[in-house]
Amino acid sequence: MKINRRDFLKHSSCTVATLATGIGLKSALAQTEQFPVIKPKKVIILAFDGMDPRLCEKMMAEGRLPHLDRLRKQGGYSTLGTSIPPQSPVAWANFINGAGPGSHGIFDFIHRDPERQAYPFYAAAKTVAGQGYLELGDHKMQLNFWPFNHKPAQTILKRQGTPFWDYLDRAGVDSTFYCLPSNYPPSPSLYGHHRCVAGMGTPDLLGTYGTYQHFAEDGPEETQTEGGGKRSKIYFEGETSLPVTLLGPKNTILKEPVPTQIDFIVHRDSQARAAVIEIQNQTVVLNEGQWSEWLKLDFELSMPALMPDKKLSGICRFYVQEIAPNFRLYATPINTDPSDPAIKLTEPEQFSREISQKLGLYYTTGFQEDHKALSNEVFTEDEYIVQSEKVLQERLELLDHAVSNYDDGLLFFYFSSTDMQAHMFWWDSDAKHPIRSTPEAKKYFQHLQKLYSRMDAVVGDMLKRYGSTAHIMIMSDHGFANFGRQFNLNTWLRNNGYLGPPDCTAVLENAEWSQSRAFGLGINSLYLNLKGRERYGIVEPGREKEQLLDELTAKLKALRDKDGRQVIRAVHRTEQAYSGPALHYAPDLVIGYSRDFRASWKTCLGNITDEVLLDNTSAWSADHCMDASEVPGVLFSNQPIAAANPSLVDLAPSVLTKFGLPIPSEMTGRNIIKT
Amino acid sequence: MSLLIQLITGTNIVTNALGGFFLQPVAVLPGWLSITAISAVLGVFLLIIFKYTSNQKAIACTRDDIKANLLAVKLFKDNIVVTFRSQVKVFAGAFRLLFHSIVPMLVMIVPVSLILAQMGLWYQTRPLQPGDAPAVIKLTLNDALQTWPQVTLEPLPNVKVVTGPVRIVSKKEIVWKIEPVEDGYATLVFHVGDQIFTKQLAVGNGFMRLNPKRPGPQFSDILLFPLEKPFGPNAEVQSISIDYPERPSRIYGTDWWILYFFIASMVFALLFKPLLKVRI
Repeated sequence: MKINRRDFLKHSSCTVATLATGIGLKSALAQTEQFPVIKPKKVIILAFDGMDPRLCEKMMAEGRLPHLDRLRKQGGYSTLGTSIPPQSPVAWANFINGAGPGSHGIFDFIHRDPERQAYPFYAAAKTVAGQGYLELGDHKMQLNFWPFNHKPAQTILKRQGTPFWDYLDRAGVDSTFYCLPSNYPPSPSLYGHHRCVAGMGTPDLLGTYGTYQHFAEDGPEETQTEGGGKRSKIYFEGETSLPVTLLGPKNTILKEPVPTQIDFIVHRDSQARAAVIEIQNQTVVLNEGQWSEWLKLDFELSMPALMPDKKLSGICRFYVQEIAPNFRLYATPINTDPSDPAIKLTEPEQFSREISQKLGLYYTTGFQEDHKALSNEVFTEDEYIVQSEKVLQERLELLDHAVSNYDDGLLFFYFSSTDMQAHMFWWDSDAKHPIRSTPEAKKYFQHLQKLYSRMDAVVGDMLKRYGSTAHIMIMSDHGFANFGRQFNLNTWLRNNGYLGPPDCTAVLENAEWSQSRAFGLGINSLYLNLKGRERYGIVEPGREKEQLLDELTAKLKALRDKDGRQVIRAVHRTEQAYSGPALHYAPDLVIGYSRDFRASWKTCLGNITDEVLLDNTSAWSADHCMDASEVPGVLFSNQPIAAANPSLVDLAPSVLTKFGLPIPSEMTGRNIIKT
Repeated sequence: MSLLIQLITGTNIVTNALGGFFLQPVAVLPGWLSITAISAVLGVFLLIIFKYTSNQKAIACTRDDIKANLLAVKLFKDNIVVTFRSQVKVFAGAFRLLFHSIVPMLVMIVPVSLILAQMGLWYQTRPLQPGDAPAVIKLTLNDALQTWPQVTLEPLPNVKVVTGPVRIVSKKEIVWKIEPVEDGYATLVFHVGDQIFTKQLAVGNGFMRLNPKRPGPQFSDILLFPLEKPFGPNAEVQSISIDYPERPSRIYGTDWWILYFFIASMVFALLFKPLLKVRI
């Protein structure tokens, strides 16, 4: 039987303590400690992404969140100030550093590289290409040993600054984080007291943020890629399909990388409304509407002659949507196998294997609820609910495991359900829903409220188990709002003469930089084309810049929709909103939308539409990328909240204070819990 | 049925009885202990068989020859002709040793195969457990059948059928997905037309003797899955298999147990070699 570090420590601690006391080593050990010995304490943080204070307050008033309401009545409730802008990577990085974007350098999902003039890249992590290789036929081998010393490609976490668990780690306080966003690849523990399972931002085995594969008899002849997925046609001869190809990760050992693939066969029994899938010596039997368990799949990477092929282990689940007349099969994104991970999923690396030994296989990608499948109409709402429920069940099992393995120190546990289901099902007004009838919109919003009640039960269970011995905090990074109207910032900039030429259709394709003074990229970011900073900048720093910022701010705030509603609630000057050493990629203005408004889908990557304001027609019908004041999060605590207007950046200092550690000068937050 | 198949089927009756008796402790001992004990006993037993079925005198002679030639290589290392000739003789000696092993090998191959098949019933897979992912049962029909018979699986109290029967027309197979509910052995009863066919199912923790497949009239299958009587060549059903989970251990787990057995039995055989005065 394998024993993990925690079990080992637990079993051996008594023996060690006895020996140490008995032979007088206790004082010697204490003297060798660099840092003060902290009395074991328990702090548990349950994070419900996107849990909204308005809805919580309404449901508490109706008696539907009894456990949270109990905390509220004890003085342990407040709204929680979110980040500017209230986007998840930014908000969670604020939580991690106990300071704003100026400390961690994440300002939006997408940043632009000023040296490459508006070149967009993912803000939270980057992949650095490998250096050097040996050519062998069609292959290029990277040999990371002497005398070759090639450097393989690697993914680097771009969040800057010091995460607060580093201070705990150094002080010998154990901390374990499950599914923490904005921490992929998971940062290392220097002293061995920190463990983490990476959350949002973790890619699937294809290197994307989740690519489902869909096979249908009415699918496209050639495999078609759509945002977040691929569609293919499946052919049947009688009741058995021709070989179907499941695409895997690219074989980057080849000079010209091509995707690996696994062929499988489907046999259907139209009479029994069931199918049998045969893949890599595994037989999967599924009724119509049934999901398979996780399947382990080996993707073979061909190697040069005489060398054995490499294998990458992935996991996937199948879902048979329809047997006949139009056979439809959904395959989840190929997740990294936690029992044999090809990428670093956890800190320490062994941690994912330990969890897998106890719980079996589980989702490892950052975005686990397949919202893209719903947005692309591969799923119906009810199918999305079933898939999301599978994610939630796994998460609840993981929580149970986490609690069973928790002794003291900090335990952080994250739930994505409240966010990913809210994006698709939140609708708290009688206005027309983007894609649903009013009764349907109400029905699915009710589903979301039931989910809140279930989360309340999770809190109740935690309070029952640890309420008297641990400080328990329940928090969310932001709230939620309807997203009925979308605003194309770049269209507005072009129409108002800030972005040229007048017939420009896409910032990244045909913007004329000598005629452009501002552009938008990402969800909330507006950049000036500043001379000396942007490669082809034309706006002079100083007076011209200040005037332009004032002008843009005033005009944007004055914008009204056709029914007279204010589109933009606030425009933040980043030099006023942010401070710290990591401002290199900061935009010049952060657009804070009013509730019901958000940046349009097209403008995020610089595309321009005919209209400035248009209806949102996506199943993604609610959002939080508005103004920070519109979508605060929640904070509940079983100890009174002592400070007014707490914010995300205050949580890390509060945890450090709880463990008797000083608040580092880099943190801008404060302790908000009564000590 | 061919004579060979009848012979192996008959032999299986005996080995099942012996295996059931001698390997019974596997059910209660820790896996590493039981397989080590079996390896020790069989290592010594096979060593004794080797002693009495091999030409010990010739082996001793050959080994002396090899030693002499190795000595010659050392003594006459300056003389390339002698060194080369001695090396050739060392190789020839090694081949002669192999030749002397042929008879004992031939004698042992049958009992060792039967013993391994019996051990496989314990170590190769583990029984289903309540709470496991559903397991697949596959029934293969006789190719000669012209029409699909009505096939049903009788309900059992300790097994829940999740999906099925599902027909794979092109392969003449019918599959079910089942979930075990209670520990214990059970007999799955299949009605195929007006015929009844059975298959044993094992549900429980730890070690249970289980047969993943009730075979048809194929020699290799009958050898590998000896516990249940094979189906005849004219039977409507040609095999029934259960997809038992792998046993996760690098000592007594799926596929590893056989490697461990060979290494451990060799180690014990080498340890007992001087005591039993065996030349190998």
